Amino acid sequence: MRNRTARSILLGVAAPVGALVFAALVCALILAVTGHSVGDVVDAMSTAAQRPRTLVNSVNSATVYYLAAVAVAIGFRMKLFNIGVDGQYRLAAMLSAALAGAAFMDSVPSVLRIAMTVVAAMLVGAAWAGLAALLKVTRGVSEVISTIMLNSIATYLVSYLLNPARLAVTTAGSNNIGTRKITEGGQVAGFEVSGSSTKVFGLVLLAVVVGFLYWFVLSRTRFGFELKATGLSESAAVASGVSVKKMVVISMLLSGAVAGLVGMPQLLGSSYTYSLDFPPGLGFVGIAVALLGRNHPIGMMVASLLWGFLDNAANSLDISGVPREIVLIMQGVIVLSVVVAYELVRRYRVRAEQQAVGSALGRTKPLEEVSA
Amino acid sequence: MAVGLVLTACGSKNDSGSGGTSTGASGSQAPTSNLKIGLAYDIGGRGDQSFNDSAARGLDKAKSELGFSIKELEATAGETDAQKEDRLRQLAEGGYNPIVAVGFAYATALEKTAKDYPDIKFAIIDSVDPAADNVANLTFAEQEGSYLVGVAAALKTKTNNVGFIGGVNVPLIQKFEVGFTAGVKAVKPDATVQAKYLTQPPDFTGFNDPAKGETAAKGMFDAGADIVYAAAGGSGAGVFKTAKANGKLGIGVDSDQYNLPSLADVKDVILTSMIKEVDVAVYDFITSVKDNKFAKGNKVYDLKAGGIDYATSGGKLDDIKAKIDDYKAKIISGEIKVPSTK
Amino acid sequence: MSTEPPAGAAPAVHLTAITKRFPGVVANSDVNISVRAGTVHALVGENGAGKSTLMKILYGMQQPDEGTIAVNGKPVSFGSPADAIRAGIGMVHQHFMLADNLTVLENVVLGSEPRKGVGLDFAAAHARIKEISDSYGLGVDPDRLVDDLGVGERQRVEILKVLYRGARTLILDEPTAVLVPQEVDELFGNLRDLKAEGLTILFISHKLDEVLSVADDITVMRRGTTVASVSPEDVTARKLAELMVGSALPVPELRESTVTDEAVLSVEGLTLVGADGRTVLNDISFTIHAGEVLGIAGVEGNGQAELVETLMGIRSPTSGTITLSGKDITNESTRHRREAGVGYIPEDRHRQGVLLEATLWENRILGHQTRKPNVRGPLLDRRGAKADTERIVVEYDVRTPGIDVNAAALSGGNQQKLIVGREMSGAPILLIASHPTRGVDVGAQAAIWEHIRRARADHLAVLLISADLDELIGMSDTLSVILRGRLVADHDPATVTPEQLGSAMTGAGRED
Repeated sequence: MRNRTARSILLGVAAPVGALVFAALVCALILAVTGHSVGDVVDAMSTAAQRPRTLVNSVNSATVYYLAAVAVAIGFRMKLFNIGVDGQYRLAAMLSAALAGAAFMDSVPSVLRIAMTVVAAMLVGAAWAGLAALLKVTRGVSEVISTIMLNSIATYLVSYLLNPARLAVTTAGSNNIGTRKITEGGQVAGFEVSGSSTKVFGLVLLAVVVGFLYWFVLSRTRFGFELKATGLSESAAVASGVSVKKMVVISMLLSGAVAGLVGMPQLLGSSYTYSLDFPPGLGFVGIAVALLGRNHPIGMMVASLLWGFLDNAANSLDISGVPREIVLIMQGVIVLSVVVAYELVRRYRVRAEQQAVGSALGRTKPLEEVSA
Repeated sequence: MAVGLVLTACGSKNDSGSGGTSTGASGSQAPTSNLKIGLAYDIGGRGDQSFNDSAARGLDKAKSELGFSIKELEATAGETDAQKEDRLRQLAEGGYNPIVAVGFAYATALEKTAKDYPDIKFAIIDSVDPAADNVANLTFAEQEGSYLVGVAAALKTKTNNVGFIGGVNVPLIQKFEVGFTAGVKAVKPDATVQAKYLTQPPDFTGFNDPAKGETAAKGMFDAGADIVYAAAGGSGAGVFKTAKANGKLGIGVDSDQYNLPSLADVKDVILTSMIKEVDVAVYDFITSVKDNKFAKGNKVYDLKAGGIDYATSGGKLDDIKAKIDDYKAKIISGEIKVPSTK
Repeated sequence: MSTEPPAGAAPAVHLTAITKRFPGVVANSDVNISVRAGTVHALVGENGAGKSTLMKILYGMQQPDEGTIAVNGKPVSFGSPADAIRAGIGMVHQHFMLADNLTVLENVVLGSEPRKGVGLDFAAAHARIKEISDSYGLGVDPDRLVDDLGVGERQRVEILKVLYRGARTLILDEPTAVLVPQEVDELFGNLRDLKAEGLTILFISHKLDEVLSVADDITVMRRGTTVASVSPEDVTARKLAELMVGSALPVPELRESTVTDEAVLSVEGLTLVGADGRTVLNDISFTIHAGEVLGIAGVEGNGQAELVETLMGIRSPTSGTITLSGKDITNESTRHRREAGVGYIPEDRHRQGVLLEATLWENRILGHQTRKPNVRGPLLDRRGAKADTERIVVEYDVRTPGIDVNAAALSGGNQQKLIVGREMSGAPILLIASHPTRGVDVGAQAAIWEHIRRARADHLAVLLISADLDELIGMSDTLSVILRGRLVADHDPATVTPEQLGSAMTGAGRED
């Protein structure tokens, strides 16, 4: 048994590592073909890896990516594709930013104010995802379609609300527009790192907590079991007394609530306002990171750190004359090769396990048994 | 980190490529033609057929005329202020001076960076923020130029109906709409002005999606417009294409689009263009640093100061040029105040 | 059609020392078969004895690791079914591969369309099909829609399809599994006609009476290898069966009656109208008492699956009531029914019974995720679940090296034993068992029967649905026949024969 667990872990690591090596080779090939030096990239990357600021920014990006990945993974676990994490977090960040920045909040005690902001974001995210769940269980609308549509609607809604006549403020002469800036009492302090001009988001702890809860709920609770069972076989889950509709609603709400958190570290730790330059597209990064991390709490953590580092190393590449697009290519190749590698390892594992069972039971030696 | 290991494993030896200095600037010498210019683009970068390209032209001009060495960095969609800040800091650490940040999205990042590099001269396009001793804010009175092309449109429309197509619905582009509408109404108070934005933020593809421009323009022409003002960067090409197919007219933006080689086959439908010379602003800024005449603070490019104007190439405005210039004079004199917000 | 091969010619198919290794499943090992041309050759063996693997090798779907194949004396090697077809070998699969909304003609020509220039020459194909059908007495009308055909007719279309492609040796994989006894007789008539025309038939089955009545030669497989070649004159069904299992046979039978007068499950006027407006279940009423096994016989697709799913709460009936131990559960959820003591052995274990990519102990929790020893409040009791899985593995003889392997790694029979063990735990009062021994080996079959018998003695009520008529007759206290969604006849299992049941199942015996 112990041997098998060791091999199981080894196999689990083999897929992503193999995929990364493969992706690195592909990127090296692309660089060579386009006339860039592989050495330059390695230099730039290792320079970036030694710069405290880049590392801090990587951790901060990873914090946000991790939350997005967990939001996506909750749905993935039951084969529910919440493509709408993007719209959910943007709407949630915008509305909770408006709430946190509102003048009356200035008199609310800091902790309570932050808690209210975070809870509001979770509620908005859950509500927006809940719409898709509702459409799915009552009308059978595929959540893929509805969440994509809801992303679009969220964009328009945010645009509509981000107007001086509604939830936004502008400063004269500025071309930016955003919600009222959250004053200091509503901000979450970061952690100083020597040698870095940026701080690590205080809400990095939130991501850790969310990751722990994700692990606990999925592997230790009845709900998590039913979620997994539904993902593995909906028909078996139904026959086992699981209400799939209920699971769809609950998991979408949870996914949306976590999606609501995605914007929080950036909002409360750095931007303090939801404005035109609030980072978009994190929901889609979450999908890639969840895929890469295999929906696993630790796997996604590693994946989000890798993703964050690649994103933040892009400037270093750019300045050393390598097109920053190589990062996008690298990320794309990694995701593709990881998906392929996981499938290969999965097949190998199934066969290996059958083999192990077979040899443990002596079933692959038919001749001796027949003669016996 | 995993990727670091992987890459090191298959790479070569590793002596410092760039950056390296982590504190302070590599002191600013008196401006000479040996200046290293750093330029950080907004999303889209060089080749966006819009204001990034316009900034690039100014840089190119400075480079070819004055022999500067340059470094251009691009932004990625979805990045944070911290990543923008990192970009500016890497330029600063690399000894680039002056450094130009293209677009208001750099305001927060520049505020933090400029503070740590007092010896480096920065410029930011389209933003009055941040205010610092070593930052020049280069902004434009787009509403004034838009007002003039609005006047032209009103004088030329036969259907008493004109259109405005904005790339992305952000305050910057809303200034174009407000000025344009005011110009049209100044001439023909009863004229209809249709307005549409191709995308909503954070989707900035509206600046570079000719197909969307085409569809939007078609809708406006079908609804009775005969002249459409495209303040939509690269999407304008689609607007002109539709105008040509329907026998209508379009108005260009940013540069004198009648003379752009890429639009040569549709130039006969370009009535005029609202000129916003980001290239001039960038070039001026660079030369001012070189000549040791750097001036901090907001420099507004408007009709009076130049940098904003309307184009007359193609001769379609020959008959009304005098009237437009009349309005122009009144704006410069302050007799007409063009609004910039709704 | 070509002429009959001369007497004393090389065997139509000759397999020598075929070996195929697979991880974890029974492989073929030193398989030797010689099929004489112009005969019906039966290949018998238990499920999992390696027959299907062997046939896949012969049909080019898999390549042997060792050994040789010779067709008409010439060594061949098949890389794909196309190679096998070219060599004149055709396969009729157990599950029909026909498009319902196409005609017989279209189905037959699909994939080998008759061309005339760029167009299709349907007239020629039509004539050819008619000719084949007539010469072998298949009685297939090329213009009928497959959707309108019965099971036996569909099977003949499959045979025709193979003949149309020029096959001279036909492999029939368990062709009688889907047929009622009357259709089996018709099929055998067809097989004799084909043989008379000089074709060779390799017939795979585990139904020994059928084999004895139709085959000229019999090869027995056990645990992946050929253990005997016999002639039907020399053996009895019992002897064959013992060759197959290598030991004496278990027999499905109940001992003394344990039926009580305590009604456990009462169904009244149960009617279910499907989404397409078809009445799937029509006014079904029955009662099962504690200690009673009610067997339901019927050709597959006559409403058994829907009946079971309605009883489990997976489907909602259009009308009628379901009462469990005096409590109306018609509108209760599946979970409540399970918690009230209903055990469920589903017809398709991969669809409803197990999570293949989950461990055995997780599968132990499935369907029992609200009950001890699997949970404590909202939390899983992993230790409790694991300990109880160990118990099931021992008590139900689930062959596995441990409970942390995925269910997918187990053979079908062992998966089924795990399901039975799980559904029997927690003292159920009613067991709904659909085909509980389908696809399991003889040892497991006997064990499952024994567990049902023991639970019945402990007052368990059982609804037994099976396609195995011997199992139904042997294991039931009461027998009903379901036909087109209705319970049409009751039989006394003590006196009824499989033939009588077969008649009732097709509706032919209703006037008797």
